[in-house]
Order: sequence, then structure tokens, then C-alpha cells
Amino acid sequence: MTNLDKLNKIFCEVFSVEESALNSEFNNCKVEGWDSVHQLSLTSSVEDEFDIMLDAEDILEFTSYDNAKKVLAKYEVEL
Amino acid sequence: MFLDLDKKPKDKVAAIDDSGRSITYGEICDFAQEFAKQLPQRSLIFILSENCIGSLLGYTAALSNRIVPLVISAATEEGLYNHLYELYQPEYLWMPQAKAEGKDIVFSAWDYCLVKTGKQPTPMYDELSLLLPTSGSTGSPKLVRHCYRNIEANADNVRRLFKLDGTEKAMAILPMHYTMGLSLIASHLLAGSTLLLSGRSLLDKGFWATLKEATSFTGVPYSYEILTKMRFTRMDLPNLKVITQGGGRLTEAMWNTLAQYAQDKGKQFIATYGQSECTARMAYLPAELATEKICSIGIAEPGGQLSIVDDNGNETFEGEAQGEMVYRGENVTLGYATCREDLLKGDENHGVMHTGDLARRDADGCYFIIGRLKRFLKIFGLRIGLDEVERMIKEEYKTDCYSKGNDEKLIVLVTDPKLQDVLPEYIEDKTHLFHQKVEVQVVDAILRNEAGKVINQ
Repeated sequence: MTNLDKLNKIFCEVFSVEESALNSEFNNCKVEGWDSVHQLSLTSSVEDEFDIMLDAEDILEFTSYDNAKKVLAKYEVEL
Repeated sequence: MFLDLDKKPKDKVAAIDDSGRSITYGEICDFAQEFAKQLPQRSLIFILSENCIGSLLGYTAALSNRIVPLVISAATEEGLYNHLYELYQPEYLWMPQAKAEGKDIVFSAWDYCLVKTGKQPTPMYDELSLLLPTSGSTGSPKLVRHCYRNIEANADNVRRLFKLDGTEKAMAILPMHYTMGLSLIASHLLAGSTLLLSGRSLLDKGFWATLKEATSFTGVPYSYEILTKMRFTRMDLPNLKVITQGGGRLTEAMWNTLAQYAQDKGKQFIATYGQSECTARMAYLPAELATEKICSIGIAEPGGQLSIVDDNGNETFEGEAQGEMVYRGENVTLGYATCREDLLKGDENHGVMHTGDLARRDADGCYFIIGRLKRFLKIFGLRIGLDEVERMIKEEYKTDCYSKGNDEKLIVLVTDPKLQDVLPEYIEDKTHLFHQKVEVQVVDAILRNEAGKVINQ
């Protein structure tokens, strides 16, 4: 499984959506029910999956699918 | 006037919300007068609440004018909302403008509007002041009935407990439709403080900017999980004086983190306990005992009294004891309503509440919750009624089921394997409980004994 597959799987599980729903529109304004519980579940899963420790400000940045990719790039996770 | 709002300095800011706008005590009073012209006293109104000034004004204006609100989340799932609407038939709605398209709007202000429904008035008990759902989430039609004195008494008890005055700026992130959210609002308005009303996620940058201004933060256990994850204990928050918690039990590890933080940084950590049946707050642990009485709910709040009834039915007020905890005070609500006719009912509790919680009292008089007699869970501060979860599933899927769990997870037993995947999402849709906190177990049969009690737990 590629890193992108892993990231997609995390998003799909947290939000109960199909992979096809993940696009540049997938963010905390457009996705109903995107609250702190979902966001923290995302960041915790990402930390476990990629064995990284996110800084507090990067957890705050995890507000969209695109941003998630940008944050991961900072931690040298190649997607 | 409600909470003596007219006796506060007129130009003092009462609340600031996420839009950056603010409102003064004088404006709250003026608004209440304007609101009174729009609808008669003793009307039943649904407030579809968000943590913003428009929503707050509906609440203060209704309570100031003997208009009786049911406060529910503006995000209440449609099916549950319709159920409440048909059952109680409110004459008016106070709701976000954005959701009121096509409705009969008679008045609007602050992005909220008053909608006339065409429903007929209903007779109500003269002292009935406010209705709140028992579990904000499972959409139970069971409501808690408050009288005017309940709200005033709770606000004053909490004001005294925290020694609130006009200098406070309280971070108000708990939802308004949640009993502790409303209690925070009422107690700070009574004290003439400023509310920092926010509907933002705790993982929103705006929240953290606002927190820097706040003198107190009130949260549920999950709020503190987020705060610690964000390493707030290392942040510079010079204005913050008090961190306080209610809405369920903290883990011992989290408790120690907060108590230590408070000690190191010269702040106060005050854990509290309460129920919606008692207008939110009932007990608190004085800050100076935080490092000594780990995970204790402390003592009765000012104006209240706690006792324990043991297995033999003996009630005691001091000394070591274990049994059901009982509370007495003017904040004990009138009782429940499950239908419109119940709004006529008077006081059924007479100031005494059997909490349904099992507690231990130590020799110093501090109480510790050790179990629960009633069938509900508290996850993320959401109260999840197990009977209501079962009722919803039975209605939707026409199947037998049983639910149980702890404050970490809801567990549902079913016999149909097809439900394994769909139930977590169904429950999240209905109750807003995060689906990963729902575990579905498929069993061969749900076994009951002759009394109907489920035995394969």
C-alpha cells in the first residue's frame, strides 16, 4: 500500500466515505460533522500510521484533505 | 428582570461571539423589550441554538418575558427535530436566519429570526421557565422542566462557587443547548461578566486566539484531551485563572495533569459535578484540594446539600459512607415532560434529587462517584441514553437489540450480521456520537430472563 493509499484509507474510515469523495473540496466547511472529534481522530491515526508526532500547529492545520497532504510533506512523508 | 440584567452597567460588554461582534448589558435589556412586542407571554418557543449572540438574545429575552423556550441544537437531526416539533407543537421558533427560508418570519435580528408556526397556545404551569432535553443527543422526547427559581438559584450558586464578578471573561464553548453551557452563561450574566461565546471547534485557530483573552475555561473531559494534545500546559496564557470541568469523569492521568498544571502555573483547577435534572451544577472540589482528592467531585456547591442513602435505606450527611448520592437545593428541577400535556405539571421533586449515581464519601466529607444506577453513558460529554439507543434501532431496523458500554464506548448487541456495518453510521447520524466509539457485536440470540432483563451481557 502506498502512503497515499494509507492516508486515503484513514480519511475514508474517519468520515465513512468512499475514496472518490476525497478531493480539494473535502474540508471542514464542506464536510458535515467535521468537528474536533473527527479531526483529532484523523491526526492520531496519521501519527500512528506514519510513525510521526505532529506539532500542535500542524494539528490545527489538518482542516482539509489537501492540507493533510501539505502537513505530511513537512514531515517528509512522500505521497 | 431575569438575572438582574437591568442592574448591570449598561455599557458593559456581556458577550462577544465568533463574528467579532459584541453586545452590552444595556442592549440585552433593550432587545428583551423589543422581543416582548412580537409574541405573547407564556408562548412556547423552540430556540434552535448556536453559540452566538442571536441565539443568546433569544434565550435572555424569552426568560425575561415569561416566554417558555425549549433549547435544542440548531444541528438536531431532522427526524428527531420533527418528532419534538409534533409532540410539543411550539407556537414560535427562534432560529438561524440561514435555515428559515420559506417560513413565516415575523421578526429578525442578529442573524436569527422569529418564526410563527400557526400552532395553538398550550396551557403551562405558571412557574415553568425553560425546557431542556435530557440527553441532547439521542433526541429523547423526555425534557427537563425548570422553574424560574431553578435558573436563578443555579446561577447564584455557581457565581458564589467561582466567586465570579464583572472582571471575568469566560470562554463559553459548551453548547447552549447543553445544561452546563446554559449554566455557564446564566452564572456569568448574573455576575455581570463577559462571555466569549464560541461555536468553534477546539481545533480551530480562532479558538486558540480567543482563549488567550479568557480568564476561565470550562470543558468536558474530552475538551481537556484536546487541550493536552495541543500541549496547552506549555502555552503562555497569562489571563487564564481558572480551568474547570464537568460533564463526566476525568481519567486519573488527566486529572493529575490538570492539577499539576494548575499548581505549577498558579492557576485554579476546579472539578465539578452536575446533572440536567438539577440545572447543571451540584458539587465541586475546591481548587486547593485538587492534588489531594484525586477524581473527587468534592462537596455540595453553595446553596446545596449532599447525602448518601446506603443499601439499608439509611441516609447520612457526614462520615464515611457508600450508596446512592442524593442532592437537595433550589436548583432541583420540577420533573420531566414527555408530552405537551406535561407542561401543566407542577413541582414533582420538591427540592430533592436521587441522583442515580453511586458514591463514596470519605472521612473529610469529599464525595467520589463510583458507579451509576441509571442506564446512560457519557461519551465526549454527550449523554447517551441506552434505552433510547435501543428504541431507535428497534424502530428503524425492526430487530431486537441490547446496548451497554462505558464512558469510552457504546456497545450494541444485535443478531443480524448485516447491521454490523450500518449501525455505527446510523447512530452517528442520529446522535452525533462519533462512529468509531460505537462497537457492534453480533450474537446468536439476545437472551432475556423471565423479568425481561438481558442476561448475555
